[in-house]
Amino acid sequence: MNVVSSKTASAPSTSPKRPFFDWRVWTVASVLLVAVGLSVLLGVKQKAQQGFFGMRMFPLKTAYDFKLNGSNGTEVRLDQLQGKVVLFLFGFTHCANICPTSLTNLAEVYQALTPEERKQVQIVFISVDPNRDTPQTLEQYVTSFDPAFLGLTGPKSSIDQTVLAYGASYEMVAGSSNQPNDYSVNHSAYTYLVNPSGKFELLYGNEKLIDVQQMVTDIRAVLREPRS
Amino acid sequence: MAFCKNPSFLCAFASLREISVFLMSRLFSFALVFLSVHLALADEQGTVTVQHPWMRAVPDVMDSTAVYMVLVNTGSDPAELVGGSTTIADSVAPMITTKEGEGLKQVVGMQSVDSLKIPAHGTLVLEPNGNHLMVMGLKEHPKEGTQIDFTIKLEPGDHEIHLQIPVSKRPVK
Repeated sequence: MNVVSSKTASAPSTSPKRPFFDWRVWTVASVLLVAVGLSVLLGVKQKAQQGFFGMRMFPLKTAYDFKLNGSNGTEVRLDQLQGKVVLFLFGFTHCANICPTSLTNLAEVYQALTPEERKQVQIVFISVDPNRDTPQTLEQYVTSFDPAFLGLTGPKSSIDQTVLAYGASYEMVAGSSNQPNDYSVNHSAYTYLVNPSGKFELLYGNEKLIDVQQMVTDIRAVLREPRS
Repeated sequence: MAFCKNPSFLCAFASLREISVFLMSRLFSFALVFLSVHLALADEQGTVTVQHPWMRAVPDVMDSTAVYMVLVNTGSDPAELVGGSTTIADSVAPMITTKEGEGLKQVVGMQSVDSLKIPAHGTLVLEPNGNHLMVMGLKEHPKEGTQIDFTIKLEPGDHEIHLQIPVSKRPVK
């Protein structure tokens, strides 16, 4: 412990008597190193989340370019909306509780934006129930929440590909009567935010949508982001 | 008042303040009782009262909607909400919201149940994204800003509470 190394001797201005292997110095140094390491790690995590209200995807990946049908059966692709912030969710129009709640909240979020910001934001409702939701029904349904909302559906295969690509899920549940059209749909109730560069960036559970101010803050932050 | 042993100016002041606080709290209780009585006109012998009922205003293309409210049971026996009825729809059923799976794969759905429990000295909250009364087979479309005659059925005692429920897009507080 009392060995004086040549290094300490070469820096006599500090403390010439301090041994190189002073355990106190090494303890302090290791503690400092661990602390710096931890804060860097936590900082990286914090940077990934960047103070967003929604859960931020990391790393950001290009959002699956879904191809579905809008009103009058016209094809709508996600890529056509690039340059806008797209918030989309899955549902069905016979849903009496979750879907109207989410769409009412999203309508409030949308209306809380400035008219200029609204031009750069598109809210999309994707029906996973094309059997009952025709493009016309769907359009009447979504536009009653806000005239700017877009309702999309399509053949089951296109819907399934989209659902799969976003890691979502849905299943039909038969009703109590034996009528073929008496069924409910259990479905993912998340809202997916795709940034103007076409990257799937943020995810919201349905309960989060009621917090209009936090949602607006997120959308504004994404709109300000530099395009990659 | 209990702390004021000597009659003094300060004590008189404290007493006045306590009296006013007491009166205000009484006034508040009376207001609450009045409100509950008002909302549950037919609930004469029951111990369940209804607060903040509302029916969701839904798009014209929808054939169903939901009714939300808070049911308060002031009695010492549990009660159950077993259903309801309204002239504007075919049927009303208590529903619960179900969640299956974890993370991204989680699916949310609803399930019809025979009843929803209102614990003794407790409440049952029917709210968006949660438990609700589903109103199915709309014959007439509930317009925002109007009032709908709505009856809820409770057990035990095959008890009914008749309500006038506002139609709204947002929760009514």
